[in-house]
Amino acid sequence: MKEIKKWTLLERYLYKEIGIEFKACLYFFCILFFYSMFRITRGSWEASIIHMAEMILTAYGIGYLQVLALNNFDEGEQLRLREVLYILLCTGIYTLVAVLGDWFAGNMWMMVAFFCYMVLVYVCAFLVYKVKRDLDTRVLNEELKAFQEGLERTGQDNGY
Amino acid sequence: MKYTINHICSGEDELILNYIEENEDVARVLAFMRREGRKLLGYKDKEQVVISPEDILYIETVDNRTYVYTEAEVYKVNYTLLQLEELLGEKRFFRCSKSMIMNISKVVSLKSLSSNRIDAVMQGGEHIMISRTYASDFRRRLRGEL
Repeated sequence: MKEIKKWTLLERYLYKEIGIEFKACLYFFCILFFYSMFRITRGSWEASIIHMAEMILTAYGIGYLQVLALNNFDEGEQLRLREVLYILLCTGIYTLVAVLGDWFAGNMWMMVAFFCYMVLVYVCAFLVYKVKRDLDTRVLNEELKAFQEGLERTGQDNGY
Repeated sequence: MKYTINHICSGEDELILNYIEENEDVARVLAFMRREGRKLLGYKDKEQVVISPEDILYIETVDNRTYVYTEAEVYKVNYTLLQLEELLGEKRFFRCSKSMIMNISKVVSLKSLSSNRIDAVMQGGEHIMISRTYASDFRRRLRGEL
């Protein structure tokens, strides 16, 4: 690579923005699944558009919070005390919005279940990202080995 | 392949390779000859030292000074990274950041990190972080696409 690559401001912004939107969609669909199950158990096959709008906007806002202020903790290397506190913070915000938006018809037990569910969602997201990175690590090392073997075959490594 | 070795009493040491077609053996000799022509001149404790590219772990610029790291030593060189990229020019040398060139043949293992970064562990134990800006080109280099 002969040129030093410089990202434009737009490219930097888009890189972060796309990541945040992907994260927002991921958590939105998890929340929507829980909400849908709640609605079905109450005998309703309909969902409130207002509630869904609140969910996606909250997920989007918390996505920004996670990426810009909370070190993108769900993609972190370890789940230590700091990451656990971040999980509790974000879950708390989701639960607060759920209470204010009356997503679960004032059912306190559903609030508690929702809180626990969101903690589980964050832990699962962390594990999924970790597994993805572990698989990527394996692929990288296989490609590295093939590359180095290729160098040895053409004599560019240890010489003739 | 025919081998001819002449021991001469005067004149300069010279290596000549005559080939019609570049097969595997010829390619190996060519690679050796090209590499031997690309030695770097470095400095350590005010002494001049000749550095072989195959000994280099990585090269780094700090405060506008360029340093070559081998497993045992660190040498200062009077080249810029751009000049070194041209001089070394081999697939195993990869510009992994604004201020660093790494020798891929000296990488012991790689680890995928968050935000598309890669952690490269070198012989000698050093960790080199390949940022996301350079990580995709690094992957393409490993696959032979670059």
